[in-house]
Amino acid sequence: MKYLLYFIALLGFSSWHASGANGIVVVANTQDTSITLSRQEVRNLFMGSSLSYGLKAVALPPDNQTRVMFNTKVVGLTESRIQSYWAQMRFTGRKTPPKQVANEKSVLTYLKNNQGAVGYLPANTVIPKSLTVIYTSQ
Amino acid sequence: MLNYNENSPVDDFKCGNNYFLLFTCLVFFSGISSSYADTEDNLKVSGFARVVMGYLDDKNAEYLGYDNSISLDQESLIGLQLDYQVVDTLAVTGQVIGHTGAQRDSGIEWLYLTYHPTKALKFKLGRQRTPFLNYSDVIDVGYAYPWATLPQQTYPRHFFSTFDGLMANYEISNNEFVLNIEGYWGGFKDKVVVAERIMEAETTDFRGLISNLAYQNWTFRASYHQGRTSVDLDDVVQFSGLLGQLGFTQSAESLATVGSTEVYQLSVNFENIDYFVRTEFNRIQADFVFVPDSDNYFVSAGYNYLPFSTYISYSQNKTQYEPAATDIPIGINSQLDIIAFSYQEIFNQLPIDSSEAFTIGTRWDLKAGLALKGEISQLNGANSDRAFFTVNDPSFDRKAILYLVALEWVF
Repeated sequence: MKYLLYFIALLGFSSWHASGANGIVVVANTQDTSITLSRQEVRNLFMGSSLSYGLKAVALPPDNQTRVMFNTKVVGLTESRIQSYWAQMRFTGRKTPPKQVANEKSVLTYLKNNQGAVGYLPANTVIPKSLTVIYTSQ
Repeated sequence: MLNYNENSPVDDFKCGNNYFLLFTCLVFFSGISSSYADTEDNLKVSGFARVVMGYLDDKNAEYLGYDNSISLDQESLIGLQLDYQVVDTLAVTGQVIGHTGAQRDSGIEWLYLTYHPTKALKFKLGRQRTPFLNYSDVIDVGYAYPWATLPQQTYPRHFFSTFDGLMANYEISNNEFVLNIEGYWGGFKDKVVVAERIMEAETTDFRGLISNLAYQNWTFRASYHQGRTSVDLDDVVQFSGLLGQLGFTQSAESLATVGSTEVYQLSVNFENIDYFVRTEFNRIQADFVFVPDSDNYFVSAGYNYLPFSTYISYSQNKTQYEPAATDIPIGINSQLDIIAFSYQEIFNQLPIDSSEAFTIGTRWDLKAGLALKGEISQLNGANSDRAFFTVNDPSFDRKAILYLVALEWVF
């Protein structure tokens, strides 16, 4: 029984820990600071569909943990499936994958320097005032 | 419209049946980083390669070229794609593929211009892959799908080709769904294999409409394609003419070598982090003798457990020819009997490919852009049918197990 209580306490702690550190924010360099997107719109944007806001996605590398979180919480697909999807899109001439930068710091730098750029970052990232949070994962 | 690229007019990039060349190609392109090499800002070089090893457990037949020896040269290939952005709204794309399979030609698969007047609208003009089914235009990019090979029952190899023409694509996107609508028009001329005969075929007024809807974790695709095909079969034309002169018009018309072919397709996919379900159905209808009507489908379900996914699939096709006419009387005189027998013999020789396949397989994503797959398929057909087998011994029971291992790569 004691072990069970320990286990439940650990489980509770781990889920609390997860909710604190595993959130995702989607941040854009946009003059229209009133923009908020639904999860589906964010998913569509990062899967290459054209959006009326004129935003252009920038992504992290496949092995990046923030990307893994984004895949899980927002896109809802495995990295393998996302790679397969881009192979199909690229080699049928339909869509091209988002520009990829090396890490979270590079995402911030890229966003600051490119009007219309949009990227995802861990929820605990300090977002500069020049950028707008347009989506926060639950 | 039904095409088997036996000999393409474009044949300037050939790995042929040459393991060494394939290996050299792989080594050469492995120097390029794993995803998208930008040699210049406007020029993008990308590619794909696959090495597929197969073995059929029966010495009395072959299937997709595989027999009861381990072979690497049936479906292995390498492709290279160049995209050059001329200006913001205009790009040129070229794709060459080198096949090891003797039944597939190497050469230019794509060469087209893309014009993008708005974000939602796109036109492509030139040589393109025909987008009959969900994976038709990436049938050679094995990395793009979970299976080691697309089910022959739903994706028969004689069915795919390029066409020369114009394609338009329009996208509607909102906070609920993304809808893509494509329409194309064009034609092609090539050598084809129909009913085990190689012949010249020309398809004109070839057109299609494709809708693709993505809603949450669902993807729906529905399409319709049609074309008017004429095949070059002098002996059949002469025989049909003779039957017409003798007044056997039904028999004469049943041997038409010109006619339209229609393809209907519907696919539904559901996928999330943990699992996927994919299914696709297509119907092919033709109004000339050598192309059978067929209903084809597959259902596949898979479970993802990174870096693996394991799947089971079932695929089936039913093939049927128009029945032979019966207006030539039998038993009146020997000359008429010879004509009736010759006429019947044409129909008796038409191969029936009705069959089914049960498949189980696993895909292992070694890293982004590189996957290894293993797959086992139980193939079943009726004793009287060809069932996509090349039968070496007539006593073969049309049942065999196909083992495949595939290494898939995109860069």
